[in-house]
Amino acid sequence: MDACCAVEREVDRVLSKFGVIGEHASRTLYDLISYIEGLKLELENAPEGHELTPIQSDLLKQAMVKVKETVTRLATDHRDLHSTVSKVGKAIDRNFTADFAVTSRDDIFSDPDKINLLNKVVYQHFCRQGMQDVANELAQEAPVKIDCGSNETFMELNHILESLKNKELEPALAWATALHDNLEAINSSLEFKLHRLKFIELLKQGAAYQTEAISYARTHFRQFVRRHEKDIQTLMGMLLFVPNGISSSPYSFMLDNEMWVEIYEVFTLDACNLLGVSVDSPLAICVNAGCTAIPALLNIKQVMMQRQVTGIWNGKDELPIEIDLGTDQHYHSMFACPILRQQSTEVNPPMRLLCGHVISRDALTKLSNGNKMKCPYCPIEQSPTDAKLIFF
Amino acid sequence: MADVKSLEHPTLKVPYEILNKKFRTAQKTLDREVSHVQQAALEIEKGISGEHVKSNDITKLLGGMVEKLQVLKRKAEESITEELQATNVCKRRLEHLKEHATLTSTGMISQGALNQWRRKRLDRMVVEYFLRNGYYNAAIKLAERSNIKDLTNIDIFLISREVEKSLASHETSKCLSWCHDNRSKLRKLKSNMEFNLRIQEFVELIRSDRRMDAIKHARKHFPSFEEEHLSTIQKVMALLAFPVATEIPSYKALFDEGRWETLIEEFRQENFRLFQLASQSVFTVALQAGLSALKTPYPFILLIFCYSESSENRNPTCPVCQKYLNQLAEHLPFAHCSQSRLYCHISGLPLNENNQPMMLPNGYVYGEQALEQMARENEGQVICPKTKEIFQFKKLDKVFVM
Repeated sequence: MDACCAVEREVDRVLSKFGVIGEHASRTLYDLISYIEGLKLELENAPEGHELTPIQSDLLKQAMVKVKETVTRLATDHRDLHSTVSKVGKAIDRNFTADFAVTSRDDIFSDPDKINLLNKVVYQHFCRQGMQDVANELAQEAPVKIDCGSNETFMELNHILESLKNKELEPALAWATALHDNLEAINSSLEFKLHRLKFIELLKQGAAYQTEAISYARTHFRQFVRRHEKDIQTLMGMLLFVPNGISSSPYSFMLDNEMWVEIYEVFTLDACNLLGVSVDSPLAICVNAGCTAIPALLNIKQVMMQRQVTGIWNGKDELPIEIDLGTDQHYHSMFACPILRQQSTEVNPPMRLLCGHVISRDALTKLSNGNKMKCPYCPIEQSPTDAKLIFF
Repeated sequence: MADVKSLEHPTLKVPYEILNKKFRTAQKTLDREVSHVQQAALEIEKGISGEHVKSNDITKLLGGMVEKLQVLKRKAEESITEELQATNVCKRRLEHLKEHATLTSTGMISQGALNQWRRKRLDRMVVEYFLRNGYYNAAIKLAERSNIKDLTNIDIFLISREVEKSLASHETSKCLSWCHDNRSKLRKLKSNMEFNLRIQEFVELIRSDRRMDAIKHARKHFPSFEEEHLSTIQKVMALLAFPVATEIPSYKALFDEGRWETLIEEFRQENFRLFQLASQSVFTVALQAGLSALKTPYPFILLIFCYSESSENRNPTCPVCQKYLNQLAEHLPFAHCSQSRLYCHISGLPLNENNQPMMLPNGYVYGEQALEQMARENEGQVICPKTKEIFQFKKLDKVFVM
């Protein structure tokens, strides 16, 4: 915030000064022009062959001095604004980091293969966002052809989500019915929820449609009895209040707009789950994580440069510090040996000691003395061979 | 806020550089017009200094002066309006950035608005990435769709597209006029762009066997670069002595058509430097950092990385497990981790005192909650989701991770 404000102050100053000088310039120049025109008119009115009187030439001389002075002043005034303008640049440099790229290696994404991969990722991202036109432009302009089969699925999903936003259930219902078995397998209640909404919509239309609603319930709800018995009872209960209006009944909550918001989310979640893709665009997650990570990385880089230990960070094995991305951004377990404070790797996996404590294999080797070792956390003595390789 | 500070430098610096350039041109225009007016004033002064001055002559001169003053007024107004416009671009971008600051600093973070801002930021970054890679139509389309045209530097890239196009069709004029436009700035950057263009022109003249013209060209243009590039000039001049099909490596290289490509690349770099753009796009930098921060060397058993092709260790929501992204992440460093962070593979819940990690006899560890539920549903048996082995629940052992 401070950074923005500091720059904004300078920008505002430039704006006001340019505003003032602009106004001033047009006013003084306008005055000057009318003054000279006045002089000109006076001379024109003089009879043919008239020669300048000394007073007239004096007046003209003064006028010329004034003209020269004014225009020179104008140019100088404008030139003086240079410092104000360049202060903006300085404020930007002071408050924002220019060399944000120092933490990354430019060779990583530069070879054509990688650019191609990157384009594919971006292409998929826009397919997911429903910006097919942007994706198509990219596919045309990119040097290597992009073909990702999955984009039709995304087009379908986006179409369904769009219609859900417009409160149309049919495309989503058709989709869910077609994938009934798969949805069942992941324990999804999506299909039921869609039917439920459809039923409620029918009831909303009043008593005239209640036979239709009942027959709809008969055809569709039967298959969900096992998991949604309670919900179905509630829905049937609504029928009682149809003549008097459901909105004044204990069931009014069922008419809430929330139901549509919920179905939108349930659909997104289950569809992504079914397709084995993440709910948010992976590209967006990565870039946002990167934006969180970069300030920290820049800081540590600077500290390392001051201490002249830049060599330690070769940018190949591991980032030099831990990046806190928030709790919902961890996708895999990470085991760090509590003794050696190192992340476990294939050659240095976690081992469970007889007593249940876990340390890394390297730590185990270091702690063991012949065929005896003592757990570093509890008094139990054991043989290193009793330790068991575990997998998280 | 920190991310704005470290990533948005180009967002503000580019419009500033444009403003600065506008200021210089405005100053030049003003100076020129002012000197015209002064010239006119001098003439009038000279006119009236003599004796027996005809008022007729003076009115004519005065008429000329009024005209010049009007031109000055018009140009001054135009220039200042342009400067104000350029400043307003800065202002608009600042306001966009401040939006983010107010979103995060008020404490009442509205996640929706923040996500919206982040989506916009990603779109901005991608536009820049597109532009740098020359996908201009895609960039324009995206900027239009997301309504972020004001916040991106499309304009300067569109100018450079014209230049690149002309260079690709082996023309130098557009690039030369670009050099001319930005002469003082390029000189400050010690750019060799113009010199290299002149060399290329010289080479092309020889290629079309107009050696006399080539000499004339050299006489006209090379002397100004003499101080810095004398040895290069000597070498290039030697070209006059060789046939186009020469096999001598260093001269053959000068005749290479690929030099045009190098020129285009050089032009791009110089253009970036001119507007103080970093050599890498913010997008790739952020993506690299993000992939690293998310990349874990775990589980290490089958293939060491989390992005192993084997699907059982894949987490479908992990971005680094996505096919293309994990190929991109291949050579990037791993995230640093000094404190274990464990999650149950079945439920995705963290493993802690409320959800004890439990080891199956085959060595795999899962959360107690998920295993208990599984045992309830399967008459006391649990199935390892990775190896499909079946164990009795009571065979499970507790695991303590510090």
